[in-house]
Amino acid sequence: MRFALFIFLLHSFIFADQYTFLLDEYDKEMELEAKILSQIAKDGIKTPITLFIPDITKSEKKVYGKFFSISKNCKDANLIFVNKNYEHNFAMCEGYFFTNNYKKLIADERFFGALFWSKSRPNIIFIKKRLKAQKITLPENYNRYIEELQ
Amino acid sequence: MIHKTKLRNPLYLITISAFFAIILAILLYGTLKLEEDVESKIIKISTSDVLKIAANNAQYITSFLDKDKSYIEQIKSDKKLQEKIDNALKILLTKNVKYAYIVYKDKNGTFRFISDGSSPQEKAMIGQKFDVTSPLWKDLYKTKKPVIIHHEFLKELFITYLYPFCQNKEVEMILAIDFSIGKIEDVNTIISTMKTTIIATIVIIFLFLTVLAIQTFRFIVARNSAFLDKLTNVYNRNYLQEIENFINLDNYALAALDIDHFKRFNDTYGHEVGDRILKEIAQIILKNCRKEEDIVIRYGGEEFVILVKSKRDERKTSIDTCKRIHSSIQSHQFYISDTEYVNITVSMGVNLTPGQSRTFSDAFKLADIALYNAKNKGRNSIEIYEDGSKARQSGHLSISEINAALEEDRVICYFQPIVHSKTNTVSHYEALLRIVDYDGKIITPDKILPAIKGTFILRNITKRVLKICYKTLKDNPDIQITVNINPQDIINDTIIDRLQMYAKKRDIAQRIGLEIVESEDLIRLQHADKNLLKLKKMGYKIFIDDFGTGYSNFIYLAQIKTDFIKIDGNIIKNILNDKLSLAIVKSIVNFAKEANIKVVAEHVSNEEIYQIIKSLGIEYAQGYHFSAPRESIERLEF
Repeated sequence: MRFALFIFLLHSFIFADQYTFLLDEYDKEMELEAKILSQIAKDGIKTPITLFIPDITKSEKKVYGKFFSISKNCKDANLIFVNKNYEHNFAMCEGYFFTNNYKKLIADERFFGALFWSKSRPNIIFIKKRLKAQKITLPENYNRYIEELQ
Repeated sequence: MIHKTKLRNPLYLITISAFFAIILAILLYGTLKLEEDVESKIIKISTSDVLKIAANNAQYITSFLDKDKSYIEQIKSDKKLQEKIDNALKILLTKNVKYAYIVYKDKNGTFRFISDGSSPQEKAMIGQKFDVTSPLWKDLYKTKKPVIIHHEFLKELFITYLYPFCQNKEVEMILAIDFSIGKIEDVNTIISTMKTTIIATIVIIFLFLTVLAIQTFRFIVARNSAFLDKLTNVYNRNYLQEIENFINLDNYALAALDIDHFKRFNDTYGHEVGDRILKEIAQIILKNCRKEEDIVIRYGGEEFVILVKSKRDERKTSIDTCKRIHSSIQSHQFYISDTEYVNITVSMGVNLTPGQSRTFSDAFKLADIALYNAKNKGRNSIEIYEDGSKARQSGHLSISEINAALEEDRVICYFQPIVHSKTNTVSHYEALLRIVDYDGKIITPDKILPAIKGTFILRNITKRVLKICYKTLKDNPDIQITVNINPQDIINDTIIDRLQMYAKKRDIAQRIGLEIVESEDLIRLQHADKNLLKLKKMGYKIFIDDFGTGYSNFIYLAQIKTDFIKIDGNIIKNILNDKLSLAIVKSIVNFAKEANIKVVAEHVSNEEIYQIIKSLGIEYAQGYHFSAPRESIERLEF
């Protein structure tokens, strides 16, 4: 009996990685995004940030909640992070728009920048003209991310 | 007391454990190293084909381009060429190759896509900025050679292969192939299984060794405790049995120690006091011995065996140790209550040359003989056993030689007739012990008995002689035999049982006379007189041997109702010249007549002595005048 228990425990420890489903869902990628967005917001917008994420998920709320005060609607927010692929109606919303999609960034002039994954690598782009229009000033170390797209 | 040379120190377990821990650490390091080697080997094998294909693919793409014009400008300006190159890149995509694309570096040093073989959802746009994560991308512009980048931090990528497109000896574009994590996952699964198996094996072996070490330690502790006498904390007889076959007796002197009259103390003051005395004596012995070298064993109730370590030429040290023990006990006050104490003495027998004996048992017997002698001489003394070489010089047999004779059936009897002086016919034959040595020489009792006096070997000799006599009586139904037995034999159950057994046979006990040497022992030994009367009842005749020289106690003779007395030969042989001897004989004869005891005269060596014997009215005579002791029964007529 002792031997059986010992084998069971040994097996459990050795194959512990098989039981990660028992833990809370955790997304490192999301946390990285939240950190970068928080840094951009601090460096560019400067005023206290209230973040709105359309159709925010529980895990997003938990992760982004560590860095931002989260708003339930876009009217009360001064930073809107569009990270879903479908279309949203932001007609009533005022604030700074940021996305995680390069194509959206190119297509919609409201977005001043994007943080997206290109070939599994994080990429950051700010559009110079839009930064200027929205009166966002970024420190010099952001220059390598600023593009002069028309 | 723990004798460290025999009982191992548990430290050796720690050494073994440390040894195995080092072995396991080396194995673990080997496993990790193996993991690294196997990983790089498997990666090399699994990617080498793709890398070759990628290089070929780059050559293929170059074939579309005009070498004289800028590659980048050509692609940017030609949609069809873009599609062609995209399709060529798509060929590279497999389950493990996640992305294949071409980038260039603009004048600001920013990398931008020029072509991408990815699916439409993931496809990068021409001119789209591409943030690279490694400086090797830029280094490629200097080295101009293909490079592999290992990704440590990217979640989905394992390695990236970069192949330069050169134009005019300068790098114009880079073909990049990203291998997905899937490949390394396959490799890692194999390695992980190997690693898990090895680690599990190591863990099991380690646990097994740990359990083994614990069990061994517990076993040693239990064994040590089994070897210690609980009362006195010295070794017990189990320990002696354990070491007796391995101990080198050449390095020791062997002493047997017995507490004098211990039974009396036990009976008088109770067992609690007796136990306390034993404990204190053990402590005194230990205090006078060297802890690391000498071995103290409680051999029996009140008997201790001490093995004093000493070299052959330093026997004096052993004797000094024994003397120290003896005098320490003698001067010690053994308290039997808070105020009262008693003094206790011990007798010791020492065998200084135990190495000369065949076995420990033989060596111990010699020490025991010396102890017996010490007790016989009035106790409270140390007796040293005469060593074997001295015994041999005097022609005496050693215990081992006597034992060997018993085992090899070389113990025999010679018979000497006892003649009835009135009828001149043989009345009895006295059975006399002899041993035939390896040269065929006949050894007489004076060379045999000293070594075995007081030992069980003497019992065995008596039994053998009785057996020979029994057989002789059966073979010769018309003769009577007398046999010599020791006072100790009279109180020995096995001898009494044997005599009882013979007595049950018809006409045997009546034809045997038991000759007992007259000595103090006979009186001192408990139950000796009762047993003699018991034997008489069975039909045996009692002869008191060597009467007149030793301890002559006439009252005792009357008590045990002896049938015969044999006047000592030393008196008889002087009867012609010594008036005192004649007077003693006359006196004995008169007493015997009064007590109705028959008299035998020994050492009748000539006719003159025989005539005087006859004239004194002695009925029986024995000696060379009639016959020397002979190996077989001879029918003699006189």
